[in-house]
Amino acid sequence: MTNTIAWIHADNLNPNQPALEAGHPAIFVWDDELLKQWDISFKRITFIYECLLEMDVTIRRGDVAIEVGKFAAEHNAKHIITPYSPSPRHKWIMRQLKVLIPDSKLEIYMDEPFVDYDGHIDLKRFSRYWRKVEKYAMQATSK
Amino acid sequence: MTETMRRDFKNRAEMIDYLKEQFSEAYATDPRVSDEFIGGRVEAEKRLQQVKTGSAYKRSRNYLDGAVSKLSPYIRYGVLTLAEVRDFALEQSGNGASKFINELGWRDYWQRLYAEMGDDIWEDQEHYKTGIPKHQYADDLPEDIENGETGVKLIDDIVHELKTTGYLHNRQRMYFAAYVVHWRNIKWQAGARFFLTHLLDGDPASNNLSWQWVASTFSHKPYIFNLSNVRKFTGKQYEAPAHETGMEIFEGSYDDINADLFNEKVR
Repeated sequence: MTNTIAWIHADNLNPNQPALEAGHPAIFVWDDELLKQWDISFKRITFIYECLLEMDVTIRRGDVAIEVGKFAAEHNAKHIITPYSPSPRHKWIMRQLKVLIPDSKLEIYMDEPFVDYDGHIDLKRFSRYWRKVEKYAMQATSK
Repeated sequence: MTETMRRDFKNRAEMIDYLKEQFSEAYATDPRVSDEFIGGRVEAEKRLQQVKTGSAYKRSRNYLDGAVSKLSPYIRYGVLTLAEVRDFALEQSGNGASKFINELGWRDYWQRLYAEMGDDIWEDQEHYKTGIPKHQYADDLPEDIENGETGVKLIDDIVHELKTTGYLHNRQRMYFAAYVVHWRNIKWQAGARFFLTHLLDGDPASNNLSWQWVASTFSHKPYIFNLSNVRKFTGKQYEAPAHETGMEIFEGSYDDINADLFNEKVR
């Protein structure tokens, strides 16, 4: 039997998010390389840390894929769930994880959508996007 | 053995003391924390309840003292979802929230584009429509801008506010970006990096694409402003004669400023 862990990142620091619902052990890793690359200010670090303190997560620092891999091993987990992120770095770390733990299963959890529509949306300009999605965006989330 | 970071703090000051040690480099560069924005869901929910989403928002959002939500740091980190903020707005204002929800749409739009573009978000999406060749734009942000010592009061105030609070009104972001790219001829990427460092809501999607919109590499024409526009939206802070505040560079009509800043052939 394999266990599940949640890998939390800064694109979703909501303590009520779907990836934390089942109460699996969860980890957040300060991405050393990204901190340096973006030259993130102390203000931003503090704000993120305050968000983390309201979440049931283990906080570590270093190379994200390696730390998530270690955490998975500590919990004997091959199933890793993580909230969605559009960032290319998130995709890159997921690929790294797949290399580090070849028999792992990675799964992305989505928040409830702002626009509940799966068809093609033209993103060339905002006006085109909005023409298409306005009627969906103006609808409350169905409970 | 991997070290797990601390979570047990008696208060904010104790947490900040710990973070000072852990993130000593960032602390040494600028030790300030935002007293205006406290991270976390508890604070986010409190703020959401106070947001105005109807006609007051629509009428006043362009003004510095307008009824803007200031939820962006919470939305950026997903502490609040766009859907729940929208649901709140609909409940509070019904169809009267359409402008507010349209603005939430910008965030969704930028995120979708980011998912498609990946690291290309750092590249010009189109050419500059300023008539100025790309190589004439500088790569780096000069120190006088970074330190808020340009002598142009509007710009120096913006830098000070950004570094103190980690937040700027959208109009201040537009003014600053236009100044950097069009008055100083600096590549938008340099300004975008500066914002990413300091803005609590800094995120490459909204940030870089908005800079590109101002620069004209993701729009039909460059965004500029003039002194009347500043005076209209910022209240009384910039009523002193422009030459006393270094703001004479913003004087004149849009046509005059366009003629001063850009290559006439392309206008």
